Amino acid sequence: MATITAPTSPRTLPSTLKRPAVRKLLTLAAIAAILVPLLTTRWPGTTWPAQLTVDLTTPLTHTSDWIIDNRDTHPLFLYGLGHVSNAVVLSVRAVYLALLTAGWPGVTALAALTAWRVAGPRLAAGTTAAFLTCAALGMWVPTMQTLALMVVAVAASVAVGTVLGLAAGLSGRTDRALRPVLDTMQVLPAFAYLLPVVLVFGIGVPAAVLATVVYAAPPMARLTALGLRGADREVLEAVDSLGATARQRLLTARIPLARKDLLLGVNQTIMMALSMAVIASVIGAGGLGDRVYQALASVDVGAALAAGIPIVLLAVVLDRVTAAAGAGVRPVRRAVWVPALAAAAAVALAARLTGRTDWPTGWTLHIAEPVNRAVDWMTAHLYSGVPVVGGTADWAARFTTWILDPVRAGLLWLPWWSVLLAVAALAWLIGTWRTALTAVLALAAIGVLGVWKPSMDTLSQVLAAVAVTLVVGVATGIAAARSDRFERLLRPVLDVCQTMPQFVYLIPVVALFGVGRAPAVAAAVVYALPAVVRITTQGLRQVDPAALEAAGSLGATGWQQLRQVQLPLARPALLLAVNQGVVLVLAVVIIGGLVGGGALGYDVVFGLAQGDLATGLVAGAAIVCLGLMLDRVTQPTGRRTTKGA
Amino acid sequence: MSTVTTTPVFSVDGLWKVFGPKADRVPADPELAALGAAELRARTGCTAAVRDVSFDVRKGEVFVVMGLSGSGKSTLVRCLTRLIEPTAGTIAIDGEDVRAMDRSRLRALRRHRAAMVFQHFGLLPHRTVLDNVAYGLEIQGVSRAERRERAAEFVAKVGLEGMEHRRPGQLSGGQRQRVGLARALAVDPEVLLFDEPFSALDPLIRRDMQEEVVRLHREEGRTMVFITHDLGEALKLGDRIALMRDGRVVQLGTPEEIVATPADDYVREFVRDVPREQVLTVRTAMRIATAEEAGSGPAIRPEATVSEAIEAVARAGTPARVVDSGRCLGVVDAEGLLGVVAGATPPADAAPVVGTPSDPAAGSRAAGAAPDPMRAAPGQRREAPRPPAGTNAEQI
Repeated sequence: MATITAPTSPRTLPSTLKRPAVRKLLTLAAIAAILVPLLTTRWPGTTWPAQLTVDLTTPLTHTSDWIIDNRDTHPLFLYGLGHVSNAVVLSVRAVYLALLTAGWPGVTALAALTAWRVAGPRLAAGTTAAFLTCAALGMWVPTMQTLALMVVAVAASVAVGTVLGLAAGLSGRTDRALRPVLDTMQVLPAFAYLLPVVLVFGIGVPAAVLATVVYAAPPMARLTALGLRGADREVLEAVDSLGATARQRLLTARIPLARKDLLLGVNQTIMMALSMAVIASVIGAGGLGDRVYQALASVDVGAALAAGIPIVLLAVVLDRVTAAAGAGVRPVRRAVWVPALAAAAAVALAARLTGRTDWPTGWTLHIAEPVNRAVDWMTAHLYSGVPVVGGTADWAARFTTWILDPVRAGLLWLPWWSVLLAVAALAWLIGTWRTALTAVLALAAIGVLGVWKPSMDTLSQVLAAVAVTLVVGVATGIAAARSDRFERLLRPVLDVCQTMPQFVYLIPVVALFGVGRAPAVAAAVVYALPAVVRITTQGLRQVDPAALEAAGSLGATGWQQLRQVQLPLARPALLLAVNQGVVLVLAVVIIGGLVGGGALGYDVVFGLAQGDLATGLVAGAAIVCLGLMLDRVTQPTGRRTTKGA
Repeated sequence: MSTVTTTPVFSVDGLWKVFGPKADRVPADPELAALGAAELRARTGCTAAVRDVSFDVRKGEVFVVMGLSGSGKSTLVRCLTRLIEPTAGTIAIDGEDVRAMDRSRLRALRRHRAAMVFQHFGLLPHRTVLDNVAYGLEIQGVSRAERRERAAEFVAKVGLEGMEHRRPGQLSGGQRQRVGLARALAVDPEVLLFDEPFSALDPLIRRDMQEEVVRLHREEGRTMVFITHDLGEALKLGDRIALMRDGRVVQLGTPEEIVATPADDYVREFVRDVPREQVLTVRTAMRIATAEEAGSGPAIRPEATVSEAIEAVARAGTPARVVDSGRCLGVVDAEGLLGVVAGATPPADAAPVVGTPSDPAAGSRAAGAAPDPMRAAPGQRREAPRPPAGTNAEQI
């Protein structure tokens, strides 16, 4: 059996040297042998040497002050950015007012009708139920605020993304220039985008919308370019052979052929926009995210849940409806939906005329209080002192003292150059010398920015969360790949989990574990798990069945098949799972700064809350560097094409 | 073949297509031009897909370009309308230089004069059958009502009535290719280009489609350039065949010439398994009639295949007369016919060896066309034991 898959490692020295991994490590060791003594004699000590840092606080504060002072007078703002800002505010307000004017009967009827038109009666019923639930939870107005912001942000993202995507799809040079930028933007945590826009626009709706656009446009651009490039060569050739002009070719062939990818792009953009619109409550987005943010700040789990449920419902409805539109379901005929549209308009008008656009107060469900009572009960009975298993707070405390603290202490105890060396080795072994170089430079930039300590704190949380995620995720993935029934049970759960915005995951962990670093890690694990499980399962299931059959026919046991055939063949998928796990974990660990996660995330929140933009910006830059470093370290040689979760 | 006249529709001379860096220098430099594929790649990093190809396509004929995959035939047909830009040489359509055309003239050429049918159909999946067929007209700017009306006519012509509103995804492979054919026909082109149109189809459907093409050609007499890798298809459809290998035309001639007198060992190997009796005409087996034979026995046309003659001779039990407009050209007997089937040399006193005399200019321009049949034949007999007749019946 072993002869089929397990390569026996050669013992002789020359053939060992021929293995690329060994060669890379030896090269690195040689470089280190020269550089490390030089560096340690010059700058002794284990933390990043102070001589090598650049203090950006002063210039950043100056810039920030200058912008604040000149925002109302300088021509750049008056004639350029000011117009952008005003246009955003005006359009968000217009959409918001339109939604309020339609009232809950009108909005619900229209939403249900749209869902029915593009996705069939089942989703229409689901949409109706979701909107009514939002209203019943007393969250109608915040829901409409979030929706208004979303409408404007999604429209702008789709427009920007399509233009960029068209450019990249039609010109190879633009594509090569744009692709690395978009790839990198996709792996950066949402929090990193907040501060630069705040610096320019100040806290408020324009900043929130623009941050959302910057975050949500890349998937649209990527998928548009992908769709245009993926068009069937022969179809395009046939179009040419009939003498089409460039315009005809684009409009009648390339764009229609890319329809599926374009709609998938819209779907992804909407989901990213929702995720960001909620997070942007930190910079003045208002709406549902703001309610969750305020509630979490005072550890009011009930109120957070009342605002969190509408977010989840909105996410699921938007995802399912746009996905169904992409799948090309056309269940309703014109003769049916035109009268239905009239009926919906009539409902809205009737409600308007009779003055029933506000949700009746008597119908509101006040779930905050009962939820808080339940949480209080949990605090009293489950947090600690449960015989044998201990309580959730005990677990969190133990996780912090036994895992998080030692890892953080270890990272800080290690000399800074050895951390760089380890990152270089890891990135080079998995990827190429380019990825290794980027990773090392990114990590060095963190040191230069003078935020080595908080960054190592964040890194320790990421490492702990990734370890837990991978152990649990890969195990679950293997189980799902081996049992169809388990996979069927798991699939709806994963579907829902993957559509939820990152922010929402903070609510249950705060209820269970209180605040601190452990809950932030727990939220990160829960957020990253679905993607890891899914990628692992798919990777294992896509292993060539012929190879498995061959192994089976030779009498391999299930375990042997898994270990010697499936796992080795699914290696690319497993590496991708690690990469995605790391990227997703980092995004949530940063947001964990809102629930006591500390470190870089806290610096950003602190900077925003105190108006100390310099601190926040430096932390934001460090987050970008950390994100880059972690992505490059785990990046397999062939760049992935799969969408991020 | 009766429709063939001497005006060439396409006239190709010294055509080269070289892929790779600085491709221009390869045809220009005689030393590089003479290199083999591997050496050329090693020396210059270039690949020559089409090498110094010349031929004429005459009005009304079916001109088949045949070769194995990688022989450059698909590149060649794309060069004709500059879907692939040729590297060197000249192409003329009705005497007009195609390579000198500017964009709008080239578009006009593609829109009105040459339409192409593709191997994998190249249909637009988001359009109905009718709109796919009307697409070429839409490109030309024909109004919606008119183009739909004309498209419906061609949908009917290729036998897809009632399927106008289906989408390509709902059709079988054969039906999709009928749509591709109708789309090409709808623009009423002067010449139809087929790029291996039937090789993605099942054998039975392929035969149907081949018959469809034969029927269309008979009805309309449209000029066709047909690319294929299937020798049976080439022999069945082609008035003349250009056989390509490694970018060069190794032989150009009628099906009968190719089968009876292969230009070199490659062609000989290629046509080895062809059931000769179904391709060669009775002229090959004919001898001068004696006086008594000239008066009796079944009469057959000179274009009749050997296979048909065998049937006639076997039924009558006597030699058959070859009669052309009432005049007896000669007779074929069982011995002569068997000789053809066996690949033996025809009797020395036989009438002209091959059927249709080909255009001498076109014939000599194709590399190595039609060498002396008397020299080629013995080699053929040595190397090629005849397969039992009927092994390749499906091809023909």
